[in-house]
Amino acid sequence: MLEPAGQFAADLRNLRSAVHRAADRQTAQPVSFGWLNAAKRRHNAAQRRSLLAWSLVTTCAAVLCIGAALPFVHHAKPAVETTVASVQPAVNETASIPDDTALLEQVDSAVSESVPTSLAPLATLDDWSSTSSTNTESSLNTPEKKNVTQ
Amino acid sequence: MGHMVSTELPPLARAQSVLELADFDEVVRLYRPRIFRFLMASLSDRDVAESLTQDCFLKAYNARHQFRGESSLSTWLTRIALNLVRDHLRSRRMRFWQRTRDTALDIVDVGEWIPDGASSPEEVCLQQERVREIWKSVEQLSRQQRTVFLLRFVEEMELAEIAETTGMNTSTVKSHLYRALRIVRDRATGKSEGEQ
Repeated sequence: MLEPAGQFAADLRNLRSAVHRAADRQTAQPVSFGWLNAAKRRHNAAQRRSLLAWSLVTTCAAVLCIGAALPFVHHAKPAVETTVASVQPAVNETASIPDDTALLEQVDSAVSESVPTSLAPLATLDDWSSTSSTNTESSLNTPEKKNVTQ
Repeated sequence: MGHMVSTELPPLARAQSVLELADFDEVVRLYRPRIFRFLMASLSDRDVAESLTQDCFLKAYNARHQFRGESSLSTWLTRIALNLVRDHLRSRRMRFWQRTRDTALDIVDVGEWIPDGASSPEEVCLQQERVREIWKSVEQLSRQQRTVFLLRFVEEMELAEIAETTGMNTSTVKSHLYRALRIVRDRATGKSEGEQ
């Protein structure tokens, strides 16, 4: 089946002869010196076109990426400001620590002042209430008792 | 015709093939007719076949250091030509050409090139008509069927060599060749029977 016979085989032989003759006429003359130069020019032109096409594609892709990323950048900015705002009070709290310490010292000095004679019964009442509290508390109140006796 | 060169070379050993490639002018002189013939038969266009023949030898020259002589030089060059045909048929420009080919003037009319061995003018006309019909049928084959058909019946390559050139296995080559032959014969025979 792969080897034709009869008239069809003769027709195939004629086809082969015709193709050979047609091609041989074209290639009968020897090639000139710069025969491959045309192919080189086409090759170089194709390379340039390819390079240009790739650079265009890359540029378009970069522009599209930047364009697509812009909305995200705009949405991301308020979040940064919120973060800054939440950090700011912490800084203020840290700065107010010395003020609180000074205030506490002021309160302590006011509490540790001696009780006037007219207020001595109140100090006694305070002493009674302290007996019902824990020993720890009574030990904490010891300086006040000293002040009362004074 | 004095410059005609026979491309029927004896089988070359690997070392011989590599050495042969060193003299590239000689390679062009020996193999250009065969490559041009295959390209012209594949594309039915002399100008395109000439351009692709140049491209084929330029590619071969640029890749000559990669040739290890694992196949014959003829097979290697035919494989390059085959790739060029495939790329050319895929390109957008060729798709445009395929639409306008019916009006093109440079199509090869193989019927005019039949050797004048017939006994009478009527017989010559009949032969030309039959060859034209076969040629039309060949042009309508799929790309792979046409390639296998041309390599077998125009280039007279063996099935194993066709398989090596096209990268198919031998059974696939046989399958394509069987289908191509059946299609061509049915079309050619049907036409001639209808005329009779």
